[in-house]
Amino acid sequence: MAESMVKLEQVRKSFGSLEVLRGIDFDVTKGEVICVLGPSGSGKSTLLRCINLLEPPDSGRILLEGMEITAGQGKNKLGIDLVRRRIGMVFQQFNLFPHMSAIENVSLAQSKVLNRGQGEARTKAAGLLKRVGLADKLDEYPDRLSGGQQQRVAIARALAMDPHVMLFDEVTSALDPELIKEVLDVMRELADEGMTMIVVTHEMGFARDVGDRVVFMDGGVVVEEGPAKQVIDDAKEERTKRFLGLVLEH
Amino acid sequence: MDVILEQYFDLDIITDNFSIVLDGFWQTLLLSGIGGALALTWGLILALLRQLPGRPLAPVRAVAIAYIDVFRGIPMLLVLLLVSGSLGAFASEGTIPESIGIPRWLGKPDPFWYGIIALTITYGAYMAEVYRAGIEAVPHGQMEAARSLGMSHGKAMRFVIVPQAVRKVIPPLLNDFIALMKDTSLVSVIGFVEVVQVGRDVQSETFNSSALTLGAILFLVFTIPLARLVDYLIARQQRYTRAGGPPAEPAPAGAAGTGQTGGPV
Repeated sequence: MAESMVKLEQVRKSFGSLEVLRGIDFDVTKGEVICVLGPSGSGKSTLLRCINLLEPPDSGRILLEGMEITAGQGKNKLGIDLVRRRIGMVFQQFNLFPHMSAIENVSLAQSKVLNRGQGEARTKAAGLLKRVGLADKLDEYPDRLSGGQQQRVAIARALAMDPHVMLFDEVTSALDPELIKEVLDVMRELADEGMTMIVVTHEMGFARDVGDRVVFMDGGVVVEEGPAKQVIDDAKEERTKRFLGLVLEH
Repeated sequence: MDVILEQYFDLDIITDNFSIVLDGFWQTLLLSGIGGALALTWGLILALLRQLPGRPLAPVRAVAIAYIDVFRGIPMLLVLLLVSGSLGAFASEGTIPESIGIPRWLGKPDPFWYGIIALTITYGAYMAEVYRAGIEAVPHGQMEAARSLGMSHGKAMRFVIVPQAVRKVIPPLLNDFIALMKDTSLVSVIGFVEVVQVGRDVQSETFNSSALTLGAILFLVFTIPLARLVDYLIARQQRYTRAGGPPAEPAPAGAAGTGQTGGPV
């Protein structure tokens, strides 16, 4: 039995009277790449945001490497910050810090959260930016970078904290088509290196090729899950088929 | 016409009183500089208290909001009179030490420090609102990104949110500083001799307003360039915002909003 990295048990979350997550069960083992598919409004993003407690779930349990992280939330803020260090997150809108250069973006949390020295943090940042293909952009500010480049900086920034699992929230949705590939390539490499990844995406090709497993969500529940190729090529559930039909058609 | 010129621009009066008016204006500048620096600091503290997260800190937020509402809603002259009247009274009753009740720090008389305190109390409240607007103008995704990297709320504020917020609100803060500078003249009411009081003294001796005119000119020497600087900074910000995307490659949909988030879901 492979080691469990993230485990969700009956996670529920409402915004006002709208129940966005209606009892999600979910298990990710170490080194696995899970792609979460589903129509917009199905709760995919909320699911990711619950996992690193940006949105604390209303009920249910979330376990990170076997330890419950949902217990005592609110009272134990340090606990939340510790949890988030182990979980890297990349956002649809990049959310780079616009007042800092690329290398400063990647160094900041290293020095302020992990207390790494300035030199060590910058060396690590430079190495990561090189790894995502931006060795020549270290001192550029985000507004001088393309969307694809910004998103790669954001990936490097998350990796700088040595996360045990990475969450990707529709990271290519805000990109022009010709910039999508450079970001997906970085993610593919990361997957090849054995990073545990939960990827909310509309990129079916990526999900099929890189994903170990696919989870299809609709209306706040997991409708279907299984090996990536099997679900995408031969879904069992009617709702999954309908969604995939619409997405793959165009 | 000559009557008007003589009343406001009598060169003899201006020359005779030039140095005392200048001395008075130096006091005005000291009040503005020290009061401005303290108001900027106190305003930021108030704004940060107002933004503290979580339910347990709701009372702190409520107190900060109440403070800001109260001191934006009453005249600074009234605050000045409350401060100067009450602190001295407390000190003479022995409720508070005399060094605080009748402050004579740095060789300055107590009305000077009452003025500084009143300026800080009042303009701190104004500037807190300006900072708040700046903090709220930073896209929510910035806080989320910082928190997702494991930063505490405080660290995220200090290193990510506030540096961006302050840049956005430098022009309105400068506007408040101009207003603060002009309001230093109120301190003359409690017997502190700054530029307006010097002008009044000369006016009552000579029945001529030229010393006050000189005071006005000295104010304008500072306030007009400050106003132009505000305009310049706003224009520069707008240019920057409009320029937006990167020049090298086609601007992607999200480029202008480096920090925007897609919304809560």
